[in-house]
Amino acid sequence: MLLEIKDVTKIYKGKVKANDNISLSVAEGEVFGLLGPNGAGKTTLVNQIIGLTMPTSGDIFISGVDVIAKPDYAREVCSFQAQVQAPISGLSTMQAVELAGRIRGGKKADVHKRALELVEKLELGEWQKTLGLNISGGVRRLVAFCMAAVVPGRIVILDEPTNDVDPLRRRTIWQEVQELAKRGSAVLLVTHNILEAERVVDRLAIVDLGKVKGMGTPASLKESEGDAMRLELILEPKATAPSLPDYLKKPLVINRRILGDVQPEDIPAAITWARSLKESGTIEEFLLGPATLEDVYIRLVKNPENNGNHGKDT
Amino acid sequence: MVKWFRSYFLMCKWTFLSSRPWLTLNLAVQLGLSVGIIYGISYFYPQMTPSIAKYLTTGSPTLVLLTVGLVIVPQVVASMRSEGTFDYIWSLPVPRMAHIAADATNMFGSMLPGIILSIIMGKYHFNFDLNVSWMLIPAVLLIASSATFVGYSMAFAVPKPMMVNIITQLMIFFVMMFSPVMYPAEQLPQWLHSIHNVLPIKYMADLMRGTLTDLPVNLGLAFSVVGAWFAAGFALTYFMVRRRN
Repeated sequence: MLLEIKDVTKIYKGKVKANDNISLSVAEGEVFGLLGPNGAGKTTLVNQIIGLTMPTSGDIFISGVDVIAKPDYAREVCSFQAQVQAPISGLSTMQAVELAGRIRGGKKADVHKRALELVEKLELGEWQKTLGLNISGGVRRLVAFCMAAVVPGRIVILDEPTNDVDPLRRRTIWQEVQELAKRGSAVLLVTHNILEAERVVDRLAIVDLGKVKGMGTPASLKESEGDAMRLELILEPKATAPSLPDYLKKPLVINRRILGDVQPEDIPAAITWARSLKESGTIEEFLLGPATLEDVYIRLVKNPENNGNHGKDT
Repeated sequence: MVKWFRSYFLMCKWTFLSSRPWLTLNLAVQLGLSVGIIYGISYFYPQMTPSIAKYLTTGSPTLVLLTVGLVIVPQVVASMRSEGTFDYIWSLPVPRMAHIAADATNMFGSMLPGIILSIIMGKYHFNFDLNVSWMLIPAVLLIASSATFVGYSMAFAVPKPMMVNIITQLMIFFVMMFSPVMYPAEQLPQWLHSIHNVLPIKYMADLMRGTLTDLPVNLGLAFSVVGAWFAAGFALTYFMVRRRN
């Protein structure tokens, strides 16, 4: 494995445990997703890989090199898009991308060619010469993505790369992420955009309260939900939640959403019940379908008793 | 070493381009400050003597360097810390001191026109001859580096960036009012004079006076004390930027 994280724990001053015994690994050519809610400890983990933060205990290796002891090595081999906006107020898009490429050791002509290619793919041409000061947050994040991808490291770490980005360009970013992996980089993708990440990642870990709650391929994580179908009800505004039938297993109420599992033999009864709720004006709509990664995520993150690993780490 | 210098030059480009949108305003403020000090403080004195004129002319560039090093640098660093800029830059394969050196170079470059203008303005406004020594160049570089690295170390050492603004305001008040930059140290009460025997401010002013005028100054002592403060500021900055949370 190119990146190996073993039993990493990070406790900040004030005894805040941001990471709790996290272990995972990422191979060359793999896109690995790190999913979790705000404050789950994802960015802390990433900061420890690139030597911005020191783990309290545990080991991190890149190609067998202990990067806790040698953080400079980590920064040589990792290209990183931080969650914070890149400090490019005084730089134009091309200047920022080309400078990042040159700092990462790229040759001037190669960097220029690759920068133009990325600018074209992400349709940033109209902002090519615009200073960072005068571009929107979303465009600025796209520029930061180009800065990480212009001369990609053996490991590319992207921390929330699609925040503020419009849907069409988000799709292009995901294509580029897969392209980076095809070129041989290991991509560590930090996001809470589950539905989009599901289509991109080869494997993922769901992190909450500093712990890995589940890890595996998207398919293996969904398999762990069994063959039950997922019923989702959306309550009418101001409607009170109805009493739930016994066949609705593992029920969860999140604001106006009611989620639960239904076994195949109970599906007709569940549909009848949901229709009656809709006719009585208790719910706006209902959905019945196979479990999604979002269902797995909600289940793992919402359930405080769940500390085990779900799915198969393949 | 080649990598260090390559990183340094690329970061110089980055910091220069980053400061470019505010370059004109920054230069105007630096120049205004330099000229304003010369003219403004001369109003304190009903009769200008050659000795006072020399103190004002040499004190003005020293104050510019101290203001940039002890106020502007810490405030910029505090702002960059709050915005997470250092986390971004320091995730790049750039030696951290190469980035700091590039930043300091850019700061110094922005101060230079103000320093030159204040010396020329002082000479012509008070109508006296300067006695410029070749030692002026190392003296200015040392004052600038020392003030800048003391500023960096303070800005990195203070736990909360917001506290930096309060500390810098106190510092500049102390430098402007209670430091022998624009007047001789002998005019201060003995206890304050004693404090200035260990602080670098008086010696920075001495370096400027001793290399620009014929006023009697112990340049060897001034170089040694300011050099020691530079070494301490550099060492603390080096330690702070390599530290991991």
